[in-house]
This record gives sequence, C-alpha cells and structure tokens, in this order.
Amino acid sequence: MERAELALYPFTSAASQYVGELDFDLDRLINSRAFQSARLRGEERLIQSLTSGISKPSLTNTDEGRVLTELLSYPYARILVSCLNDPYLNRKYSHAEAEAAYSLLLEREDFFLREIGEEFGIHAKQHERGFHLHFADFLKYSTTLKAIEWKLINQRMVHGNVFVERKDFARLLQEAIKKNIHEGLPLKVPEKTCTDCSGALSRLKELLQQKKGDIENGQTGEVDSKLFPPCINYAINNVRTGVNLAHSMRFAMTSFLTGIGMTVDDIINMFNVSPDFDEEKTRYQIEHIAGSSGTKYTPPSCSTMKTYGNCHGTDDLCKRINHPLNYYRRKMWYKKKFKKPANTKEKKGTE
Amino acid sequence: MNTSTKRYLKSRFHDYYREAKIHVPHSLTKREWGFISYDSMPETMMYRHKAFGTGGELRDYLVSMQPAHVYHSVALYDYPDAPTMKEKKWKGADLIFDLDADHLQDAPTSYAAMLEMVKAESLRLLDFLVDDFGFDEDNIKAVFSGGRGYHFHITDPLIWELESSQRREIVDYVGGKGIKSEYFYQKEFMIGDHGTGTRTFNDRTEILSKYVIKNPDTGWGKRLAEYIASYLEEEGQKEEKERFADIKHIKGFGKKTQQQMNRISKDSKALEDIRRGRLDFGKIRDFKAIMARFFDNTIDQHRVTLAGSAQVDEPVTADIKRLIRLPGSLHGGSGMKVIPLSLEDMEDFKPLQDAVAFSDRPVTLKAIKPLEVQMMDLDIRVEEGVQELPEYAAVYLMCRGVAEYGSY
Ligand code: SF4
Repeated sequence: MERAELALYPFTSAASQYVGELDFDLDRLINSRAFQSARLRGEERLIQSLTSGISKPSLTNTDEGRVLTELLSYPYARILVSCLNDPYLNRKYSHAEAEAAYSLLLEREDFFLREIGEEFGIHAKQHERGFHLHFADFLKYSTTLKAIEWKLINQRMVHGNVFVERKDFARLLQEAIKKNIHEGLPLKVPEKTCTDCSGALSRLKELLQQKKGDIENGQTGEVDSKLFPPCINYAINNVRTGVNLAHSMRFAMTSFLTGIGMTVDDIINMFNVSPDFDEEKTRYQIEHIAGSSGTKYTPPSCSTMKTYGNCHGTDDLCKRINHPLNYYRRKMWYKKKFKKPANTKEKKGTE
Repeated sequence: MNTSTKRYLKSRFHDYYREAKIHVPHSLTKREWGFISYDSMPETMMYRHKAFGTGGELRDYLVSMQPAHVYHSVALYDYPDAPTMKEKKWKGADLIFDLDADHLQDAPTSYAAMLEMVKAESLRLLDFLVDDFGFDEDNIKAVFSGGRGYHFHITDPLIWELESSQRREIVDYVGGKGIKSEYFYQKEFMIGDHGTGTRTFNDRTEILSKYVIKNPDTGWGKRLAEYIASYLEEEGQKEEKERFADIKHIKGFGKKTQQQMNRISKDSKALEDIRRGRLDFGKIRDFKAIMARFFDNTIDQHRVTLAGSAQVDEPVTADIKRLIRLPGSLHGGSGMKVIPLSLEDMEDFKPLQDAVAFSDRPVTLKAIKPLEVQMMDLDIRVEEGVQELPEYAAVYLMCRGVAEYGSY
C-alpha cells in the first residue's frame, strides 16, 4: 500500500507497522506542538463518529504533511476512546471508522478489496460478478448483519464457497473492520497520557453525555423506564450486571419491553452499561423472543409471573393490577395527567 | 439399580474397555473430559475438568474406573483441566450435529423404527454437509450414539473458530429456517433473451417474461428445482382428475395452468428444463402462492431437525463448550457401543446388531416389568420376574433400569 492509502486505511497492519517505524514517542504525539493538527483531526474523528460520520480527505502521496496528520490522528483518536472507555462510544466509533472505509472501498479495484480481505483472514477469489469465499469466512462477518438476505441459507453456496456481489463483499469488509477495531478497544493507555488529554476528553465527554441523553429521551420515544413494574426492573438490573435470567423471566421481560414499543436496539442500548454485559448473547435471546420471524408474543400476566417465581418486589400499585403491562399503562396515565398542566403553563409562559 | 447390578455392569464395562478400540479424538491434550459413574446413580453426577496426555492414560482410566458415560469436549482449550471456562481458554471447537429421536416429530415408539427414522434424517444431513458445505469426507465423522441417535463430528480446521451465532446459521441452513423465497426465483424478461427488443412479439404481449430458479445447480435452489420436477412427474402418473390436489385450490390455478402442467409432466425435456431452473408454466395469476407451496414442501422434504433446535435454548451445534460421547465408549443407558461409521457404512448400519458390545452367554436377571427387545435380529419377549437372557440383552435391560442382576 502507498503512504496515502495507509492514511486512509489506518486500521491495517501495514499502517500500524508504518507508524511503528516512524519511531517517535507517544509523549510527542500527545504534547508536541508539531502534532497539533493530528490531535485536532483525531478529536474530529470522534466528534464525527457521534454526529455525521467520519469524512475522509482525498490524499495523494505528495501531500506529506496532510498524509502524516491523517495517519497519526487515528492512534490519537484511539487513545481518546480508550481513556473514555465508554461501551456506547466504543461501538459508535468502530462503526463510524468502518462505515467511512466502506465508502472508500466501493470506489476501489477488486484486487484492493481482496487485499483488505486478507488483512482480516478472508480469503476471497474473484469471479465475473464479484467474489467467492469460504462460508466460514463469510459467517465470521455476516452474522452481525441482521437482515434476512444475509442469512447463509439465502446465499448462493457451492461446495462451501459463498458467492457475493462486489458491493456485498465491501459490506462484509466493513463488518470485519468494525469488529477488528472494536475488539482492540480499549487500548492500555498510561494514566498520565489520559491526564495530558484532559481538554479533549472533557469536550468529548460533554458531547457524549448529550448524545446519550438524546437516546434516552428521543429514540426510545415515549418509553420511560422509571414507570416499569418492579419485576421488570429487577430483571433489567440482573441483565445489566451479567446475571443469567431463567428463560421464563427473560421471556417476560423481553416481551414486555417489545410490547411497550421498544426495538431490539433500544433494548440492547438500555442493557449495555456494564463490562459484564454480553451483547451478542443477549441480542440472540432478545431477537428470538422479539420474533424476528414475525410472531410477536404477549407478556405473561401477574399470576403467571407469580407461578414461575418471577414476581419480585411488589408495590402498592401491583395490588391493583393483574398484568405488568397494565402497571406501566397506569403509571403512564398518571404521569401524563400530572404533567399536562405543567406543560400548558410552560407554553403559556413562552407565548 | 441395586449394588449388585452396579457391580455387575462395572465388571462388564471393565472387560470391554480392556479390549475395546477407543477412537481418541484429534488434539487429545486440549480436550476436557467428563464422566458419569454408576456409583452415584440414581443421581447423575458428572465428574468434569479432567484432561489426558495420551491415549494410554485415557484407556487406563476407563479400565480402572468403568464409567457409565464417557464424554469429551467438542472444544479445544489451552488448559482443559482448569476449573472454570474462563481459565480454560477456549481455542476452537469441532462442529457437532446431534440427531436424536427425541427431537423428531411423530417419532415411532419402537426403538428399531425410531432409529431407522433418525438414520434417514442423518442421510439428509450428510447431503448438506458434503454437497452444500463441501466438507471433505475425511473431515466428517459419523457416530452412532449408542442411544437414540447419531452424532456428526466435523473436524475441518476451517470451522474451529466459528462462534455460536455463526454456528446457528449452519443450523438454520440445514433446518430450512429463514429461507426467503424471493432469493430463489426471479422473473426473467424474454425480450432481452431473444434480442428482438420489441413488446409486440407474435401479437402476444403477455408472455414477455418467465420465471427462473436462481441457483438450480446448488443448495436449496437445486432441491427446489428437483422437487418441482419430480412432483410434476409423479402427478403425471396419476388419473387426470386426481392430479395437483395440493395446489389446485390456490387462486389463479386455472384450466390453462393445469393444461400447461399436464403437458410438462409428460414431457421429459420440459422436466429437464425445470431441473435447469426454467419455470415456464404459462400465465398463472398467483404464481407466488404456488411457489410458496412448492417451497414449503421442499423444505419439509429435506430439512434436518437437530437436537435442541426445537427449543428456544441453544441447539447443540451452537454450543461450543459442550461435551460429546467418546466414539468407542459404551453408552451407560443402553450398554451399546458408541460406534464411528464410515459414510458408506451408514446406509447399511444396523444399530441393534452392529452396536452390540456383549456376548450371548446366558445371564440370570430379574425384570421389573414386561418388555419387548429387538436385538441381534431377535425379538426377545421379556416377562416380569426372574429369567435367563443373553448377556447383551441382560446388560441392555439393566442399563435401562428395568432389570436387576441375579435372581433376588
Ligand atoms: S404484581 Fe405483577 S407487575 Fe407487580 S411485580 Fe408482580 S408481576 Fe410484576
């Protein structure tokens, strides 16, 4: 790969080897004036990850300074992510890096795509309309793509080789890049380094907080976890701390959450607060119950919950309802009734 | 199971393990082992986290301990004898398929018939493993479980590192789950094909397109094409009025469709065309519905139901830390051999004869309830009470817990 390419695909082993050979010390990247533009670009990578998506410059080998800035901004961005070590940011950032690479890859020659594939252990061969690869390589990166057209059963497979079109191959590479970056995070960063970056870190923290707030209020719409019945909160706390739920409880919780309108991603985001959290496993379990196949289940009633020993921490409202969904609806109703006058007042005030 | 029965079974197992051919799995030193002993029964307590350095060590253990059940991990670990999964350090795992009568719908109750049904299922699975997944036959080990089914161990290093979710995709593939019919057939415009580029072809504007199966040469596409062709062929043998009973009621299946299908069913060239993916049924209003039916039937005919996959819980194949019976060991619930089979042997394999491990020397036992047993080509009627039976049948009944050793 040429130098400009290394800067555009900084996650490749060739790029990290190149950076290694530059032989400068970490302290300079963090503190030296000379690398200020690299640091700014690094911070920008993260800001863009949380907002518009990372945009890549067009570079040629002769732009030596710009190439170096772009190249070094990547390790700097990874240092910042690692200091913050926030699961949500880790995911967002890996995703954004991979997505940006995908757009670039679409424009590239077949041999280049294959070269990137080799980087992640995908041994692809070309054929007239795209590539074929061993199904094990395909599965390594296709299973995180949830759309039904990515299922192995819906592929053309001949004696263990899966045939994919060019665009889909690039999409698989995107997944490979994402997985690879994500698995590498967080890096072990000396505490001193994080302290030196505190300016950038606090700016990012603020943005991150704001984005997360948006999710809680916005994306999940009307859902308010403070109104969940005790049994559901109990289950959620267990999942958050990595405790395995009995199947009946997992079923009750998931059908409840989908029943009030949460999507699988909403649910994952809600759980994903602790390092013990096993996203892949949880996603599988939730999807199974949420019925990616189309069947939607209704959550069990309080009496069924009690029979299976899943009714935990009943409160006063529990005595007056017979179904966890009703608990939520009642509280929702109280909340609206209570809130409405306040809202009207506010409106009047601003008029 | 009383003490003298336990003692008897253990002595029989002891003799067996002294002579038996044990099929030591590849990467022996990286496997975890688990055992269930007769001593703890009726409790089943598994003794786990054991590792062996050589096949000889393993045999010595089996001979001296005479366990009822012997399992090894499908996974390879850096430290197989470490007490927790985390400390073991998972390195990869063989791919396992477990076919079991307990998971088949409408399984017959007779042991022999049940095993026959699982065998048919196994042959279907083999078809997927070899044709679709392209596994080399050397990397597929078929094993009779000694109980109610068959196991397949795929040892191809290319699949070792697959994670659970990735293995589930393989389960779905052989189970026909998540198939989307749109990906299997499409409309093809005939104008382009014939290069005329005109919409008024022979004054007939409606036959501008035909349907084709996308991948009639491989996988489920091939199964679909084959199903449709043989379905039409078979229907063609019937009386005209009785043909196409299961698609006739579909809206849009009119006289013309019937005529067209009649014609195809008698025309070997047209049937060949279907096998090559061409679905030229003329104008059918609800082509989709008819295809949906063909699809369902194809899936019913070919899908493989794997143990565990009917439940929400993990299918065995997706469980990368599970233990599996050692080929060459005895199944403590039947006293039969867990036998590895070559793929050619599979078809002619007779479990109730070929997996019998013990002699026909007479043994006295006391049966708790009457039972019929088919073994070694014999129908053995067991009455309640004391009697003499050939050793293999005696061991079988004691292992199943329906007889005790001796006459008291
Ligand atoms: S009474 Fe119903 S809503 Fe309340 S905790 Fe028990 S199951 Fe949940």
